[in-house]
Amino acid sequence: MKHTQLTADAAPWRQPAPNQVRLYVWEWPIRISHWVMVLTIVSLSITGYYMHSPYFLAIGHTAYVMGTIRFVHLLSAFAFSFAILLRMVWFFFGNRWVRISQYIPTTRNRWKGMKAIAKFYTFVAWSPVAYIGHNPLAGAAYAVIYLMAIVEILTGFALYSQILGSHLLTVLIGWLPRLIDIQWLREIHFLIMFGFGMFFIHHLYTAILVSIEEHSGLMDSIFSGYKFVPQDHLKKELAEAPETK
Amino acid sequence: MNTSLQVDSPTPFRSALEARGVSRRQFVKFCGLMASTLALPHRYAHAISKAMEQVKRPVLVWLEFQDCTGNSESMLRSGSPNVGDIVIEMLSWEYHEVIMAGSGQHASDALERVVRECAGEYICVVEGSIPMAENGVYCTIGGRTALDIARQVCANAAVNIAIGACAWDGGIVSASPNPTGAVGLQEAVPGIKNLINLGGCPHNPVNTAAVLVHYLTFHELPALDQYRRPLFAYGNVIHDQCERRAHYDAGRYVQEWGDEGARKGWCLYKMGCKGPEATYNCPTVRWNEGTSWPVKAGHGCIACASHRFWDTKSPFYDRLPTVPGFGVDVKAEDIGWTATAVIAGATALQVGANMVRDRLKPPPADSDTHEPTNTSA
Ligand code: SF4
Repeated sequence: MKHTQLTADAAPWRQPAPNQVRLYVWEWPIRISHWVMVLTIVSLSITGYYMHSPYFLAIGHTAYVMGTIRFVHLLSAFAFSFAILLRMVWFFFGNRWVRISQYIPTTRNRWKGMKAIAKFYTFVAWSPVAYIGHNPLAGAAYAVIYLMAIVEILTGFALYSQILGSHLLTVLIGWLPRLIDIQWLREIHFLIMFGFGMFFIHHLYTAILVSIEEHSGLMDSIFSGYKFVPQDHLKKELAEAPETK
Repeated sequence: MNTSLQVDSPTPFRSALEARGVSRRQFVKFCGLMASTLALPHRYAHAISKAMEQVKRPVLVWLEFQDCTGNSESMLRSGSPNVGDIVIEMLSWEYHEVIMAGSGQHASDALERVVRECAGEYICVVEGSIPMAENGVYCTIGGRTALDIARQVCANAAVNIAIGACAWDGGIVSASPNPTGAVGLQEAVPGIKNLINLGGCPHNPVNTAAVLVHYLTFHELPALDQYRRPLFAYGNVIHDQCERRAHYDAGRYVQEWGDEGARKGWCLYKMGCKGPEATYNCPTVRWNEGTSWPVKAGHGCIACASHRFWDTKSPFYDRLPTVPGFGVDVKAEDIGWTATAVIAGATALQVGANMVRDRLKPPPADSDTHEPTNTSA
């Protein structure tokens, strides 16, 4: 088969190249949780930074700036927590490309793959190794991100329990401020925000890079759920690790 | 409320108060203050005044270890006529180094006698931390270590009151690096009975008086939290009781000392006020007969009634602790922004390098087997 320059994206109105199949990779909970996370992380960072260091002052006598910002932060925090929860559920009930095994490298193959991808990113290799789901390095990076998210949620609710004074929340999370002082929880909560910022920069870069280089419709896939995958590649992956779905 | 108090013949207690210049009216006001501090309905003021007049002056000993006498001072100079006057009159103070007449051997004998003769009945107040390093040699009184004295005196007391930050959790003495191995009373004497902690640097005498009054009136300690501190005093966040809170919610902050906001009484959040993370009834009980408290006076709260506040709530003029391993003048946000900038720079470099790689990339050799591969980010 001759090499053809593919311009197809995995959008429904585009057709896959002759050697590709249009494959449903990202199910709806994955896409919903992804976009809720994106929006809430942005709003949590903007409001959270104001709560740390109010970067503008209120004007006028009826202002309620900090109050509103805290309210938005709390709303976003609940949305974020539910998105993470939904995503966690899909670690166990999702398809093979979003399961927990994609994130925590437990097999030899995943570790090897991690090295191969690292070679591509450090300009030792010309091309990346192909994966339908996440490549092992990206998967491991996301595992760290989810861990950060969980720490953010735990510390956030611990801080919230102090101002809320709710019995239920204190029972659920009150053990944490007894182990680690509330100020250190606040520090961790604050610093992880920068971790998300750094991740955001790099995530955007790799997503665009891979999308442009590989023409797999990766950028569209997080909207539509579909990716264009070479037929033989799909066969190979299914044969290598026969799982349900 | 005055009508509910019967005017009867003066009891010895009341005559004693009068001799100190505390009028009946002032005493009734004191009872009202105690009831409201304890968050009791007003009618309890009557029960309190009754109990105070009839109580058989229980014995109190006040031990001082590694301290600055700030709690004693706070008690004795609490106002005029002061809470201290009434508290001193309602108890029989047998031992308190600062105010007792006797000294040396006489003083030590007085303490010995209380422990011997009133075992299980007296109230023991402890002020200051107890050093544990080198078997406690860093604080000895009359040749005995603080630890030794505390063990003996507290074991025989009916109630033990650890007063001030140092007696509660070691306070400034136990702050890092804690050379004397100082700890609070409850750590120094494990299994200590009927302990109540009254943190704060110093304690608020109104709270201490309220605890004593509660004990004398109801013969039990008030409801305590996980640190064995009374909930009536340590159950609420400062920030929620602060008179500057409206400015906080609105978004009006003091930006530097002495600026316009400071003159207008705006919120001290940006100046490092720890009100949002501290609990105490400081804003409502206040100091010097309810005159003022730090935030009202224009200085941020330093969370002096919080657990190990010297270590955990400092720096007092910044929102967050300094990150360990960096200099004391490096803020958490400086570290965060620098790291983010480094990642952004590295990513920009990678973008450039990728363009170069794309140029240099050899065309696929056997395009039959390796059609465009798919990779995921
Ligand atoms: S001054 Fe302190 S306690 Fe008062 S509202 Fe501001 S941050 Fe809260």
